[in-house]
Amino acid sequence: MKNILLTAFSILSVLFAHSQAKKPTLMVVPSDNWCISRGYSLEFDNQGAIEVIPDYKRAFQENADLLLVISKLNGLMAERGFPLKNMETVIKSRELNSALDAARSSRSSGAEVAESPVDQILDQAKADIVLQLTWSVNQTGPKKSVTFNLQGLDAYSNKQIATAAGTGAPSFSAELPVLLEEAVQSYIGPFANTLQDHFDDLFENGREVTLRIKRWDDWPNDLETTYGPDTEELGFIIEDWMADNTVKGRFSTTDATENTMLFEQVRIPMFFERNGRQRAMDTRRFASELSKFLRSDPYNIENKLTTRGLGEATIFLGSK
Amino acid sequence: MSKTLFQSVLLLLFLFATPELMAQKRAKRLADEDTQNWRYEIQCVNVGRQGSYLIKVYSFSRRKHIPEEQSKKNAVHGVIFKGIPAGDRGCVAQPPLARNANVEEEKRAYFDDFFAEGGKYMKFVSLTTDGAVAATDRFRVGRNGREYKIGIVVTVNIDLLRKELESAGIIRGLSSGF
Repeated sequence: MKNILLTAFSILSVLFAHSQAKKPTLMVVPSDNWCISRGYSLEFDNQGAIEVIPDYKRAFQENADLLLVISKLNGLMAERGFPLKNMETVIKSRELNSALDAARSSRSSGAEVAESPVDQILDQAKADIVLQLTWSVNQTGPKKSVTFNLQGLDAYSNKQIATAAGTGAPSFSAELPVLLEEAVQSYIGPFANTLQDHFDDLFENGREVTLRIKRWDDWPNDLETTYGPDTEELGFIIEDWMADNTVKGRFSTTDATENTMLFEQVRIPMFFERNGRQRAMDTRRFASELSKFLRSDPYNIENKLTTRGLGEATIFLGSK
Repeated sequence: MSKTLFQSVLLLLFLFATPELMAQKRAKRLADEDTQNWRYEIQCVNVGRQGSYLIKVYSFSRRKHIPEEQSKKNAVHGVIFKGIPAGDRGCVAQPPLARNANVEEEKRAYFDDFFAEGGKYMKFVSLTTDGAVAATDRFRVGRNGREYKIGIVVTVNIDLLRKELESAGIIRGLSSGF
């Protein structure tokens, strides 16, 4: 009986010990080119310069072909175990939440929901990987064909991590929705294949993220201040910590001044161990280790950690 | 009298049927050998709905008629290990389902069962035009034209095939690990 219990316990501990990595969110977004060329755009005056930005809401409300392509893509990706975020629903949900927050107040004190300007900027429809969609219809006499371009863009490294693009065969009779459906069906295989390459790379070399170090302007020290028994500059101390804690020591120090450091292509492990169990690692967790390191002896630097999605974190030195 | 007649009929049947049976067995053995060597070429004919592809698979044989099962096995094998090349009518090149080039060797037992007579491969492929070969799809090749290259159009359901290989742990799904 004791042996059975021991065996069951060890099987369960093995099962629970194998955690899963944090799944990136994917969302199909029509490209700026697609939106603006079809008139789904807004103009605004940015300090004297007229800027044109895509009007996604109107595109979703008025273009049935866009809905068809997104629906088809969502369906095919869901079949591969990777359901996508639906941008139209995200936009609606964000608007509803904003309205509810604006109307809400504390029953006892009458206080309103706290929201800083930064919160407002961050409150956008976002995903870790944006599937940027563009298509155009080519017409030569009665023949029609569709040029289709699907790009997988990593929202944090700004790299194109997956792609599928090309022009379909011209057709005399097929209607546009049929051509679009065929294009999605044809290109999803090659697209998923390049996306799989990216995921394989993640599991082998770690997730690629960005880490920024900044200082509050009221902090008397900076990144050139020396610390510790070796009287080394803080910037180099942080760089050494990065080299020790990234996968295969891989990261690039893109900018380094007395006020700021920017680390790009930082490869963080997919998992970390806590209480004997493996858990999924994200940028916030990784950066919090650096934050703890800087707060501890001999540095004792108070700091504040903020994140943006799964892949970008900033540590502000000097205070919370 | 009647016994002798019966024995003679039996003997005649045996004499006529044996070479035919032998020939059939030999043809099957040769076809199996060709299949095991995986000598084939594939062409995309058209993209179907719901993850299926119309593929023309050219198999090689020393006989004029090629067993249908050989073409089916070749088509499924091609989709798994070689991918589908780009073709006319909007056929976009499809990568092979197996991303690891050595998976056939590593999972030998699985693929032996999969491609065995009546194996699972049959669930993912079907003949179009009942296996009829167009006149332009049968031609002699090789030294002295001793071999035939025969093209048969089949439909392969790639989506179902991918799911089968994922669930059997042969290939990784897009979401595996997350």
